[in-house]
Amino acid sequence: MSRPGHRPIARLRVVARTAAVAWVVFGAGAAALFAAEPEGPLYERDVLPILTAHCLKCHGREARKAGLDLRTFTLLSQGGESGSVLTAGSLKESPLYERIADRSMPPEGELPLRDEQIEAVRRWIDAGAHAADTGEPPQETASETSAEDRDFWAFRPLARNEPPAVRQTVRARTPVDAFVLAKLEERGLSLAPDAEPRTLVRRAYFDLVGLPPSPEEVDEFLRDASADAYERLLDRLLASPHFGERWGRHWLDASGYVDTAGGDNDAGIIKMADGKWRYRDYVIESFNDDKPFDRFLTEQLAGDELDDWRSAEHFTPEMIERLTATTFLRSSSDDTDENELNTADIRHGVLARTVETVASNLLGLTVNCARCHSHKYDPIPHRDYYRLTAIFTPAMNPQSWLQPRDRALADIAPQEKAAAEKHNAEIRKRIDEAKRRLSEIRRPYQDRLLDQKLTGVPEPIRGDTKTALQTPADKRNEVQKYLAGKFEATLRVAAEDVAAALSAEDRLQIAALEAQLAALPVQLKSWGTIQAVYDVGQPPVTYLLKRGNHDAPGAPVAPGFLSVLSSGDPAAVFAAVHPTGATSGRRLALARWLTERDTPAAALVARVMVNRVWQQLFGVGIVETADNFGHSGAQPTHPELLDWLARQWIEAGYRWKPLVKRLMLSSVYRQASTVEPARAADVALGGRDAAATAGAGAAATGATTDAPAGPDPYSIDPANHLLWRQRLRRLQSEAVRDAILATSGKLDRSMFGPPIPIEAKADGSVVVRDKDLPSATSPWRRSMYILARRNYHLSMLDVFDQPVVSTNCTRRDASAVVLQSLAMLNDGFVIEQAGHFAERVAAAAPVDRQVLAAFRLALAREPTAKEAAWCEELLRSQFDRYRQQAANDEEARRQALGHLCQMLLNASEFLYVQ
Amino acid sequence: MKIPTPNAHNFPAELSRRDLLRASGLGFGSLVLSCLLAEEAQAGAGSSAALAVNLAPRPSPLPAQARSVIMLMQNGGPGQMELFDPKPELARLAGQTYGEKVEMFQKGSEGNKLLAGPFRFRPCGQCGMELSEVIPHLATVADDICLVRSMHTEHNNHTEALVMLNTGKIFQGRPALGSWISYALGTENQNLPAYVVLRDPEGYNTSGTLLWQNAWLPALFRGTEFSTQGPAVLNLRPARPQPSGAQADDLALLSRLNEEHRRRYPRESELEARIRNYELAARMQLATGDTLDPARESPATQKRYGLDNPETAGYGLRCLMARRLVETGVRFVQVFPPVKPQFQPWDSHKDVKTENEQICAKTDLPSAGLIKDLKQRGLLDSTIVLWTGEFGRLPVSQNGSGRDHNRNAFSLILAGGGFKRGHVHGATDDVGYRSVEGRVSVPDLHATILHQLGFDHRQLTYLHHGRPETLTDASVTKARIVGELIDGSLRA
Repeated sequence: MSRPGHRPIARLRVVARTAAVAWVVFGAGAAALFAAEPEGPLYERDVLPILTAHCLKCHGREARKAGLDLRTFTLLSQGGESGSVLTAGSLKESPLYERIADRSMPPEGELPLRDEQIEAVRRWIDAGAHAADTGEPPQETASETSAEDRDFWAFRPLARNEPPAVRQTVRARTPVDAFVLAKLEERGLSLAPDAEPRTLVRRAYFDLVGLPPSPEEVDEFLRDASADAYERLLDRLLASPHFGERWGRHWLDASGYVDTAGGDNDAGIIKMADGKWRYRDYVIESFNDDKPFDRFLTEQLAGDELDDWRSAEHFTPEMIERLTATTFLRSSSDDTDENELNTADIRHGVLARTVETVASNLLGLTVNCARCHSHKYDPIPHRDYYRLTAIFTPAMNPQSWLQPRDRALADIAPQEKAAAEKHNAEIRKRIDEAKRRLSEIRRPYQDRLLDQKLTGVPEPIRGDTKTALQTPADKRNEVQKYLAGKFEATLRVAAEDVAAALSAEDRLQIAALEAQLAALPVQLKSWGTIQAVYDVGQPPVTYLLKRGNHDAPGAPVAPGFLSVLSSGDPAAVFAAVHPTGATSGRRLALARWLTERDTPAAALVARVMVNRVWQQLFGVGIVETADNFGHSGAQPTHPELLDWLARQWIEAGYRWKPLVKRLMLSSVYRQASTVEPARAADVALGGRDAAATAGAGAAATGATTDAPAGPDPYSIDPANHLLWRQRLRRLQSEAVRDAILATSGKLDRSMFGPPIPIEAKADGSVVVRDKDLPSATSPWRRSMYILARRNYHLSMLDVFDQPVVSTNCTRRDASAVVLQSLAMLNDGFVIEQAGHFAERVAAAAPVDRQVLAAFRLALAREPTAKEAAWCEELLRSQFDRYRQQAANDEEARRQALGHLCQMLLNASEFLYVQ
Repeated sequence: MKIPTPNAHNFPAELSRRDLLRASGLGFGSLVLSCLLAEEAQAGAGSSAALAVNLAPRPSPLPAQARSVIMLMQNGGPGQMELFDPKPELARLAGQTYGEKVEMFQKGSEGNKLLAGPFRFRPCGQCGMELSEVIPHLATVADDICLVRSMHTEHNNHTEALVMLNTGKIFQGRPALGSWISYALGTENQNLPAYVVLRDPEGYNTSGTLLWQNAWLPALFRGTEFSTQGPAVLNLRPARPQPSGAQADDLALLSRLNEEHRRRYPRESELEARIRNYELAARMQLATGDTLDPARESPATQKRYGLDNPETAGYGLRCLMARRLVETGVRFVQVFPPVKPQFQPWDSHKDVKTENEQICAKTDLPSAGLIKDLKQRGLLDSTIVLWTGEFGRLPVSQNGSGRDHNRNAFSLILAGGGFKRGHVHGATDDVGYRSVEGRVSVPDLHATILHQLGFDHRQLTYLHHGRPETLTDASVTKARIVGELIDGSLRA
């Protein structure tokens, strides 16, 4: 293939090939000419603006009709399905010109080109069809990242660390403790004492299952004096089905899960993405099954590439599970179901957000910047962004886009679906036929009865009235509307009257038809929806987009990975995977790259994952910026520990539960979250141990009001980066609401299924819809089963920092704003649940033990004498108040207890894991 | 109303900056802290409370003309050629095919036939600014406003363009202008939120809460919805009535329990913040009632906002509340138009004449009334009033008598806050399709508003994902301060 240069080089024929572009070698001097200021007409300056306005929508931007893409001169030169479209200097051999000159293009309905525009194209071709776009192959450097780039801590392979030796071997229950203690000891600090068992059991429940322990569960743990009581508590909770709910929710945050389709712009309009909840359930079950992460991730990135489901006769449960897993890649908001928004920019936006969400979730990197230019802070070249993009374009091709409604798959095999649709069409035909027969039989009776009634209508308008009534309501003219309005009620022929008038034979026929009509709909086959991702046709060529602009494609880009995390040729990874079925295998290769042992990519992924687990259990990650492992993020406080945990996690088979258990067994996790200043010296190295050696108990130290000499952790490490105490952590939004329901005793613990619908009220609140719910207790399901929207969350969740899901969330906020106080004081849901809580207390305990019972339910502890006295005081004052309002004693007591119970839900302690 | 003595909204004043950052519960790193400290240094603000994550009022680093903003959000895409931008050429060429194929959004404009505006324009005020007959009341404040005829934006769909207008980019997920300004300046009334949203109590306009989102700024900078019907704030009063005094007793117990708990965690400022929030909740119950009671206004003032006419009363009440809120020290008030008959009231796809008449009848008088009232009370100098839609409309007809969306040109009004008075800036082409002279982008508008509030838009930053983010993202958007809009006589 050849292409024209600036200087007309005789008549160069531009020959189209289907895929590959060959490049002519120009003589010396040609390159110099390219750089010179052009004189004659140029494609980009003189022709492209015309084509952009009239042709590009179909030939490049949103489609490649006839295989033709006109966005750049290079693409134009490749021609279309029927060959070359341009021959420099020859109009007759340039279909591009011929089609616009004979006005067969643009087609009917599009704005035709003006004569001067056609003339401009003619002049350009005659002058040699020059372009500024040299079409020179891009400079593919072996690596655009340096050895120094690769040496950044997050991009290195995992170090092989051993737990360091520490002085306080008593406190070093686990290797995790050794890593943390070593840093503390360097600063003269130690761990805080273990939290009290009561505190610990509540902490473990919230962290593992997201719910508070019942008083009985607390007692059971406190009674168990065996050495492994705590470990067995953890095992029980890890085996609970609620574990998958709690930890699945964290993963759903990171993947950006919502139940709705599109941008979720308006409170009153909920656009459901049918069946997305199956992915939520898949995630819960995967966590409960402790599915190894490499498999979990592979299913989500490429579950469709693991089976030949396209030609399967039936979907196996495994196929359905794996296709459901790919909903992971459907979290990006996609508005292209609306035809006005099914445009190139929106399609590219969906694709870009998919790439960016995957990178944010799995790599802890913000690759967004590299969409337009090489990243400023991190070694992510512009090209790398499009390498990653090319992994997804076979499934999400902006030029051959599937609208979400077409992308959704049935949960039965394509063949089965075709058969079922045929079957349903047949049944529907029979239903229609039965209905037609019924009305045929009834019609003469109805007419007769109507005629009888019509005798009561004055004769001159009788005929018109009859016509009016027999005309369908929406087809009536003004006069007919009037007549119908006037007479319809009195002239209506009741179904019973028709039934009574039927002949015996017709009655039998009707009974038979009605029996048919009752039986037929049951035979209709139905199926569910999977919001899957799968390759559509042959992989398209993916281009680097200059400045991120889809109208400015640059060089073609092969699928690949971030070069800073790759060694060798990425093509080898793509060649090494063996996808099943008609698919490119690119996403399978991505999954492989992310989880291939002993590679920098797998190392980063493991660090990001382990760090997020740490963040859940300690409030802040070892890398505080869990969402940013790049140069502008925070450095790890304990890099050796992070790498050790990541390595252990991979080597033990990528399993979540052992990792969580390992962390929770540590003294670091088990330590108290507060150290009174007077006792802070306990935390200082030597303080407690030295005191103990000297025979003085900790209590004696605690009794001293003056802080003993020794390092003060509050001044050495006020932000607790080194973990000399556990952190006080506010409950996440779902846990706040779930804890209220668990405390009131009303929590509906049923799992899975379609989300519970919500509605936005005019006052701005969002509540569970009050009609057409699956069951009476649906409003009290766990929060993760409440319909998940991007923007309009259930008010109770919203106020406690339920994240807005514009893409995804790897770190929750925990604000303390006044609207939270207002909600806990005045929201109808809280008041209602406080009432149920009070009923529960009243039923369980006599009047003089109710304060105690309420404390045990809400806070998993007993009140101090002082607290109990304050509470009794409130009960008395509220009782008196309601009594004065003419409530009887029982009612006044009930109301008073309701107030107390609501205040316990409002207590700071209720909102925190201590 | 008396402006209460400022004190920290959520956090006690004696807490350190580090405490404040931690108390926000956002887990900021030391990087953010150093960034904020650096900003303080840049800003030259000596006070240690500057740019903290709280709502305490703070001085702007540069001289400011304005201290508060009222945004009259006119969503739907008001037609510039119907209201603000006379186009005689459009009348002359009406019915002819326009030479350039316009960018359509919906179907119906394929014919590309120019449509004349149905309204006459006439010179108004001393300045002679030409305005349409369909806005007779705004015409009476021509000498007080700065009319920008050369706006342009980036997207033709309502949500994208509204999100752009309010956050600077078309994609969701960035903080709103009001959130940035609250973050920048805090607020002067510690009993009310810094950023208040007044929408039609009947419902949300297009894109609802997306338009007052804090995004990655801390939650206390989110717009708080105040209702002009019923309780002003969601959950301000118990969902079920309680005997008087019952909640006070409850709060007394709560305070004791929380105080006891806090003592066990002496260094956790977040617990202190929670205790104070319950006190603030009680104060808000009083303050909002006072502020939002229209009966406190004279009949003449009520009339000025159209409260005497059911047609104008709804939007008029919101405009009046906006003035009252600004007067009591609220920093940013966002007012929305009626949601009926349609929740994008300026979206005249069907008939530009009747649709404009309908919405102007509801909004013209109160919008003008607000400007007059602010001026009379001496508040206009320190308050920026921004009247704007998210985009404009096409010069060609859609299905005969309507117009489709147009991102290439729209008009808006700025009044007060040091903007020029009786001034027209910029121009569109002959038919009003594109802004051609003195073009102003949405980021330019934001940069200019921040400038009037005493901030350099490039310096007002917040660290997110390790990147110092700004409202205008000037390195990408090339946002500039539009000096031509600013009243030079006011400059120092």
